[in-house]
Amino acid sequence: MSTDFRPRSLPLFTLLALFVVALSFAACGDDDDGATATPGDGTPTDGPTATQPADIGAVSVLGQWGGAELETFESVVAPWQTETGGDMKFTGTRDIISLLTLNVEGGSPPDIAIPSEIGLLRKFARAGDLVPLSACGLEEEVRANFPQAFIDLGTVDGELYGFFFKADGKATIWYNPGFFADQSYEPLTADATFDDLLALSQEIEDDGVVAPWSIGVESGGASGWPGTDWLQAILMNNVDGGLVANDGLVDGSVPWTDPAVKEAWEKLGEIALEDGWASQGSGDGIVATNFLDAIFPLFEDPPEAALHHQAGFAAGAIVEQFPNAVAGTDFDFFPWPGGAVIGSADIVYAFNDDEATCSMMKYLATAAAQQIWVEAGGAISPNTGVELSAYPDAVIANAAERLTEAETFRFDLDDSIGGATQQAIWAGVLEYVTKPGDLDSILSGIEDAAVAQRAAAEEE
Amino acid sequence: MIGRRWWVPWLWLAPTLVLLGVFLVYPSIDTIRRSFLDTGSDSWVGLDNYQFIVENPQPLVADTHSALMNNVLWMTMFTLFTVAIGLGIAVLAGRVRYEAVAKATIFIPMAISFVALSVIWRFMYEFNSDIGTVNAVTTGAGGLLRDIGMDSNLSEPTAWLQNDGSPQTVFTDAGPDDLPGPFQINNMALITVGIWNWTGFTMIILSAGLKSISTEVLEAARVDGANEWQIFRRITVPILSPTIVVVSTTLIIQTLKTFDLVWVMTGGRFDTDVVATLFFRQAFVIGDFGVGAALAVVLMLFVVPIMVLTIRRFQFQEEIR
Repeated sequence: MSTDFRPRSLPLFTLLALFVVALSFAACGDDDDGATATPGDGTPTDGPTATQPADIGAVSVLGQWGGAELETFESVVAPWQTETGGDMKFTGTRDIISLLTLNVEGGSPPDIAIPSEIGLLRKFARAGDLVPLSACGLEEEVRANFPQAFIDLGTVDGELYGFFFKADGKATIWYNPGFFADQSYEPLTADATFDDLLALSQEIEDDGVVAPWSIGVESGGASGWPGTDWLQAILMNNVDGGLVANDGLVDGSVPWTDPAVKEAWEKLGEIALEDGWASQGSGDGIVATNFLDAIFPLFEDPPEAALHHQAGFAAGAIVEQFPNAVAGTDFDFFPWPGGAVIGSADIVYAFNDDEATCSMMKYLATAAAQQIWVEAGGAISPNTGVELSAYPDAVIANAAERLTEAETFRFDLDDSIGGATQQAIWAGVLEYVTKPGDLDSILSGIEDAAVAQRAAAEEE
Repeated sequence: MIGRRWWVPWLWLAPTLVLLGVFLVYPSIDTIRRSFLDTGSDSWVGLDNYQFIVENPQPLVADTHSALMNNVLWMTMFTLFTVAIGLGIAVLAGRVRYEAVAKATIFIPMAISFVALSVIWRFMYEFNSDIGTVNAVTTGAGGLLRDIGMDSNLSEPTAWLQNDGSPQTVFTDAGPDDLPGPFQINNMALITVGIWNWTGFTMIILSAGLKSISTEVLEAARVDGANEWQIFRRITVPILSPTIVVVSTTLIIQTLKTFDLVWVMTGGRFDTDVVATLFFRQAFVIGDFGVGAALAVVLMLFVVPIMVLTIRRFQFQEEIR
């Protein structure tokens, strides 16, 4: 009946309208990658009559921070804004490699970029996109105030392009001191061995109270990276010739199929794949558990696991999840047995030497600027001018001391390599943890990627 | 009169042509050009990038074969199930009194953006069954089965987004661990989310089509003694078939564009890459614009036959009018 149609047409029309709304939402959903913030708009202390400093203009900064971290960075930049009258246009994205590549490729790079990956630095520097620190008259100051390891990392073909801002120490094993005391487990020291670590794990497993380890490597498209930290810690500390192999993997003189490298992967398997050692249960559980979620089982009440390998940022994550947790009594770390230190850091480099850009670069390199974040917590400054007493608690001060005074220090392995090889290493970790039998083909797959990447880099 | 001059239609077309030129034609031509250039688009490499896609030399970095097969899987499974379920609901919902409520409920997911949807379903599929609803249900069911003496893999949580084994291994170890090609637990889990999202769309379009079928035809069939199933098979579906084709075409093009769902939920890991995610990673994460552009061109080539078919059918319909 055609009369049926009229009353029904109304809900149908409503639904179609909804559909249009849905489409527009879907379209909006695509650009929530980047968050733009312009901090320091209000300068409450300066009245309209106060003498304004010469306005040097705005500086665009591309970084990775959002939320609380961005607020901290804004407080770092605030004194510079007051002093120079400059303005910062900050864009934060978790996908900095894509966005930065896209911006540079499209001919509109930011003034300053602060990524944590250093593979891009070489690429941009060789393509002539970057200005060296000397162009801003900053080179001597950086050379004087940063450890040599960090100077080397910022140098491409003899020219210094970048300095480091916010560092983190890796190769640390987190534990719950209260629980360790209850069970009378002893945290290991830097001069322990890999066998000591296995023995401690076995002891915890035998007691049967908790699983020895909590391990999770899920991280969206970057899934697998926590496994690369494991591999590097083992390679540098517990494999004969591991340091040489580590450096060789970065410069290409040692292939991924090298026996030392393979030994590191197998030792990772001795812990992660040992039946019952990971509280996540199995390889599938490890790859399906988010790296942040994997930190928390140690500090639940009652704990579900005893040990967790993660970089220094774990402390911040623990405090955020358990606001009452106290550094040193509720959570602490011991160094990976062997004591070699691995670090990662956000590198700062500039794409031009405008007055405003240089002024901000100079400011960010100072101990005074870096100390602001250190005091806010959750960061280590590679600038040797920052006093250990500036750190908010003993745990992070300890981590800072380890990092700036390390005898053996290397930058994060996969971040040093970057590109397709880094993707292959991450994918390799995931495959090894779920299908350990394929190790040889995984390693030759990574080596293929590394060879292709070097060949492409030489052509350019 | 101004309307008679030859250039007037072009004047009205100009804004559209400029926009199309800047945002569609130029990027397409530039993408095709880059697909024959090297990583940084500096020198010509002939067909090397296409050879990379065909030979798949680096499955750890960019598994081109798996991505292509996954797109085919999406195209078939997603389209088939979305149309079938949408049609079923459209027919059944038309027969109940609370039709509007039923349809609105099915349609609501359509109002959620793909990224938000993906974030929600990441929680649904979470491995830890204290958080993941799907695993809470399956492990619960597994527990019940165990109580009545049936052993199944259900008692253990499944890594829905990571496990690339055969779908039946969720229930039992019998059968092959790895079915050939893209039939993986994680692909099925992703496609299910797509189906959940798009069923409302097919339902609305098909149900509009259903309303246009004259009741005389249906009554005539009933008088002739046809049962409801026969009416559905022999009358409803044939009359609806042009609409079904339109819907399917829309869905197929949708599957070729699949990106956000995979990118947010798995990042393309564990062999869940589709061509769109692979080309994005290759170009903008790894910085290899050559292979990235070549993959984009392959994606374009996939769309061409579908486009041609649609336009042909359109012209045909215009003719018979």
